[in-house]
Amino acid sequence: MKIAYEHLIKFIPSRPSIENISEKFFQLGHEHEIQNNIFDMELTPNRGDCLSINGLLRDLSVFYEVTLNNEIYTDDIESLDINFVNNSPKACPSISFLKINIQGEISEYKGIFQDYFDDLDVNKNNFFTDISNYISYETGQPTHCYDAEKVTSLISLETSIEEYEFKTLLDKTIKLKDENLVFVQNDEVINLAGVMGGSSTACSKDTKSVIVECAYFNPENVIGQSIKYDIKSDAAHKFERGVDPLCHEKVLRRFLKIVDEHATIKNVEIFKRDYISHNSIEIPFDIERINNILGLSYNSEELQDYLTKLGFNIDNNKILAPSYRSDIKTENDIAEEIARVIGYNNIPIQSLKIPKLRSAPAKDLELLEQNIKSLLISEGFFEVINDPFVNHETDNSIKLDNPLDSGRKNLRINLEKSLIDNLLYNERRQQDSIKLFEITDIYYLEKKQLKNKRKLGIICSGRVGKNYLDFSRKIDNKYLTNILDKFNKKISFNPHLINRDELETKLNNKIIYLEIDLNELESYDFDTIDKEKLVLNKNNFKKYIPISSFPSSVRDLSFAVSDKEKYHELQNLLLDYKNILIKEIFIFDFYHNEDKDEIKIGFRFVFQSNSSTITEGEVNNIMNEIIEKALSIPSVEIPGLKR
Amino acid sequence: MPSFNIKPPILNHELGGLHPITQVKDFLLNLLKEIGFNEVDGPEIESEEYNFDMLNIKESHPARQMHDTFYVENKTSVLRTHTSPVQIRSMLNSSPPLAIISAGKVYRKDDDATHLPMFHQVEGIYVNKEVNFAQLKDLIYKIVYGIFGEEVKIRFRPSYFPFTEPSAEVDILSEDGKWLEILGCGIVNPIVLDNCNIDTKKFSGLAFGLGVERIAMLKYEVNDIRDFYKSNLDFLRQFK
Repeated sequence: MKIAYEHLIKFIPSRPSIENISEKFFQLGHEHEIQNNIFDMELTPNRGDCLSINGLLRDLSVFYEVTLNNEIYTDDIESLDINFVNNSPKACPSISFLKINIQGEISEYKGIFQDYFDDLDVNKNNFFTDISNYISYETGQPTHCYDAEKVTSLISLETSIEEYEFKTLLDKTIKLKDENLVFVQNDEVINLAGVMGGSSTACSKDTKSVIVECAYFNPENVIGQSIKYDIKSDAAHKFERGVDPLCHEKVLRRFLKIVDEHATIKNVEIFKRDYISHNSIEIPFDIERINNILGLSYNSEELQDYLTKLGFNIDNNKILAPSYRSDIKTENDIAEEIARVIGYNNIPIQSLKIPKLRSAPAKDLELLEQNIKSLLISEGFFEVINDPFVNHETDNSIKLDNPLDSGRKNLRINLEKSLIDNLLYNERRQQDSIKLFEITDIYYLEKKQLKNKRKLGIICSGRVGKNYLDFSRKIDNKYLTNILDKFNKKISFNPHLINRDELETKLNNKIIYLEIDLNELESYDFDTIDKEKLVLNKNNFKKYIPISSFPSSVRDLSFAVSDKEKYHELQNLLLDYKNILIKEIFIFDFYHNEDKDEIKIGFRFVFQSNSSTITEGEVNNIMNEIIEKALSIPSVEIPGLKR
Repeated sequence: MPSFNIKPPILNHELGGLHPITQVKDFLLNLLKEIGFNEVDGPEIESEEYNFDMLNIKESHPARQMHDTFYVENKTSVLRTHTSPVQIRSMLNSSPPLAIISAGKVYRKDDDATHLPMFHQVEGIYVNKEVNFAQLKDLIYKIVYGIFGEEVKIRFRPSYFPFTEPSAEVDILSEDGKWLEILGCGIVNPIVLDNCNIDTKKFSGLAFGLGVERIAMLKYEVNDIRDFYKSNLDFLRQFK
């Protein structure tokens, strides 16, 4: 909601600065941003009463002297005999209609009414709708204007489940479904109550006779309607959060005053009806309890002073909340009011010491998981986390009633598909040694009952590792079972090979997959790893460096070194070589030929740019520099290199 | 010539790593356990009663709409939208004093650049005699200092959650002078304690909740929440 700073300070004689008001808004809990002297308010959903100039001024009145002195129409108004039936009094406990006939031309908009359009860059529509929009901005109470000449017969307010077609006053046609609160005339919906009126009874620039509807709709009957029909509605936003049930006459007299300032009123009549009377909530004025909630020690006078400034009445040790504060129900709400006025940041801190309470001993499953994680991490596996939404449906899948899309309509019952997707994602990014695991609960149906299991999924493919011993070894079943033997040799784990034929992949590395039900594993003894030896990450919170989305390029260099002293020099030179385009350097091959007294050592260089696809030329330039430096070391050669 | 006595290159065994979200979650849990909380867990598929009703989230609350919450099996259950139902279960099964934390996956029907349908929370509740807002502030300072260091500037803002009253949101001041929201907290609404058969004349409580991804993004300076769930090895390697 946008509110102009200038519109607020018209009512604050001390004219505080925008920064000062901004600070007070934050203290009160009214988040906002400021742009060009306009507050863009993000109010919490319980403070519907602040969705207006008047509402915000009421809150600011605890800090400033505020004069809410907008004039209202004070003449007597005749009673309106309107053909209206309220068949949903619970949804609409009170409603008023004001019928106004004007004559002659409408003068140019004046005062704050014109400022509203200028300062907030609001489009004008027609005279009565413009006043309605402004009144909502000023008072927080939405009103709806019907062209009185288009309201020709009985109007009823219905909670209907009929599938009406309804054309809004913005000419959007929607099909009403399920339950809706609607105003109906001659079997036609003319207004989706609390959300938006219809085009058939809408006002135009020519409207001279208007019926202004001013109602209290229960938030429950409006919530969700604007989203359901994709209608952007300021009225719905306000009704959903609760409006003042006792403001109708004052709001309509303010409406009338603005009409009076711009046109000649020929005739005016009013209809007011309370179907269910509004009950004020009384809260005990329990000073001790309010102080105890906050950890403060204010006296009765101080608390009364704060509450009175916020519009509360205190009578006979009872606190009466103003009718616009539908959010106030308990002493905790009152404590919050006090805290806001004092300022949360000004409440002194009291030391909290949580007593030593009984704690449940660590569960076997927890220890089991720690050990498995530690084992896998020490073998180069990375943990992944996937969401549970899948397309695949089985007899025991749990189905979502409202999935994000048709491809995510079931909860997974195993981890295989997710982990295969993770593996293929990395293969497409030129990873040639992929080792991943996931531990999570999965949920499924068994005899129509919801069940869950704790699952571990492991997937791996490609090279065993990047060092010179593992580089040429490929992951297979044996590789994974050997690792799991370290956990417990007595359990036979049976990893299986994933068939690549069904996957969109051109690689032929074996994909090894294993899924374990951890709840079953829990019953086995396992070798507990000493807590000190658990290889779990110690959090150092290193700053993340964004990864490149461009492809990498690989070059290998194999050297023959005949002087052992120089081999170390070569190794240090290359492993420490730095270039912004080099992502990684490692030794992938090492062989000592004792017969020849010669060392063969191979280095792999992985190139990748953060800003573009790396070119052959860029790679060659760097490689030439590396070769130049390497060959400047005596006894170092690159067999077969022609220069 | 003597034979080489060669020391081969160091055999570089690459270690893997826990997911950064697991690391941050564990870090938060350890921090809170040191303060005195005990960890409890609960199911990710919950009844509406525990996920909403018991927490004073009324049937008309927007969070309960089909566009905000995942419902399963003909609206018989929901994917929990927060870890608070774990606290409800704990309060129903034990009596005060209690100090518990729960951590895990939660679900909301969002999927865009800044929201994911699945994310992680760590939430805590402390119920005892004479628990008040001034003590809550002390706890929050301990938590925030524990995460971001004692140099960090903190501010409290009034907020609204149906299950706490008063409610607050806590911001920290970033290096570039912007206030960043990091957690929500408040005094447990007596309606919630009542629902859990806790005598509100004797006991009061405080509660707080942190988004694990939010803390991880701030601590590691990851700008796009979606990066956490691409399972990209180049990404995961950075958090070893």
